[in-house]
Amino acid sequence: MANILDTLRYTEEHEWILDEGDSGSIGITDFAQKSLGDIVFVELPEIGKEFEKGESFGVVESIKSVNDLLMPVSGEVLAINEELADRPELCNQDPYGAWMIKVKFSNKEEVGELLTPDQYSTQCENS
Amino acid sequence: METKKTALYQKHLNLNAKMSNFAGYSMPLQYQSSKDEVLAVRNHAGMFDVSHMGEFFVEGSEAVNFIDFMLTNDFKNAENLKAVYSPLCREDGTIIDDLIAYKLSSEKVLVCVNAANISKDWDWFSSHVDKFDCQLTNQSEDFSLIAVQGPDTEQALEELQLLDGSEFPYYSVRVKEYGDGRIILARTGYTGEDGFELFCSHNVAEQLWEKLSSKNIVPCGLIARDILRIEVCYPLYGKEINDDVTPLDSALKWAVKLDKENFIGKDALLNYQPRFRLVKLSIDKGIPREDYPVLDSDGRQIGRVTSGTMSITINKGAALALIEKDKFPENKKLFIKIRNNIVEAEINKRPFVSGGHK
Repeated sequence: MANILDTLRYTEEHEWILDEGDSGSIGITDFAQKSLGDIVFVELPEIGKEFEKGESFGVVESIKSVNDLLMPVSGEVLAINEELADRPELCNQDPYGAWMIKVKFSNKEEVGELLTPDQYSTQCENS
Repeated sequence: METKKTALYQKHLNLNAKMSNFAGYSMPLQYQSSKDEVLAVRNHAGMFDVSHMGEFFVEGSEAVNFIDFMLTNDFKNAENLKAVYSPLCREDGTIIDDLIAYKLSSEKVLVCVNAANISKDWDWFSSHVDKFDCQLTNQSEDFSLIAVQGPDTEQALEELQLLDGSEFPYYSVRVKEYGDGRIILARTGYTGEDGFELFCSHNVAEQLWEKLSSKNIVPCGLIARDILRIEVCYPLYGKEINDDVTPLDSALKWAVKLDKENFIGKDALLNYQPRFRLVKLSIDKGIPREDYPVLDSDGRQIGRVTSGTMSITINKGAALALIEKDKFPENKKLFIKIRNNIVEAEINKRPFVSGGHK
């Protein structure tokens, strides 16, 4: 069973977001890292870039696949997790600790529209 | 067409392997972690179910001459019980497949071919065998094949009494009594490490697999196999070599013996000017993937990645790429286009990993 944290909101594409007020951290879920297998490369955007909800903000590569990372919400990139450049395996080892970017929300309401832990859990069980 | 299952199918399911259709067979892609599987083969020992591969036998007084005529490499002068790697070419020099031929005796040859090419190869061999005094049979459905690879393989097989310590050089073959039948052991493989390939009947495959397991030999899937062969720069049919190129385009000149008296493709290859150059490229950041463009300093596309991966052993992106020979830049600078990034690649003269085979 994939681990799902009560403190986060989720997307159907298996990103998580932690609401920290005006901004939030984004990563990929335990379910995502399990289905990808060994993660060997993470490509993240430049700080200051702005993205719309649903836009690709980066790429996560497993040994066999290349996967877009999609913005759960619209916003501006405040920080990226530099550590993942050298240690992409952290996404496997600690998916909820291995945040990828921090964003400043352009529309905070979008966070509330994301899947709740219960909803996401149901989605994972049905896939 | 229904997906075929190897004799080890249930073993793979029991191990929770991720399965996928490959050349008509349901094959294990990986068990737990491809990364760990690669490291097991490099540092210890791993085993692969490669029963999907094809086995043809040729028997008769001209069996060796027939195979020698079909292959670009020299098979006639190989000693008995030796194995020979070779491309299999058409008259125009293009590649039908690559294979290993095992000289079981002066009158019996085993040819092991790629799974995806079994019917194509069979048609090709069949259409030429009539001129030779020998019998050709396709026994691909009758054999399971387990590849055991890695530095600890020899000791494990000795402990299991599959090897008896007698001389058994790299690229040679032995036939051994086993149970009610026989297994063919070959000191060959596709990983660059020392190791053996065990051709056996289906009814002993599970038992052999279990015995190997008992020696802590790690089950490995096709993903690990692909990474391992890219690390040592072995070509794969359908990638570096295919119907459109000759061995001289894909760094296989060493396996084309133009001084041989005669073989299919000789005339074409004697006069052939290669169109491509196969290069080994590595990058520190990013992973090259199949079909990514290779560019020169001016940004012109001059080739493409044919196989690419994250090399687990050297922890770098590693790729094989075919470059158009007449466009190969004088400054020897090559770049790989990865999505929107252009990354300079290092051209490696030697394989990324040397492998420990004897």
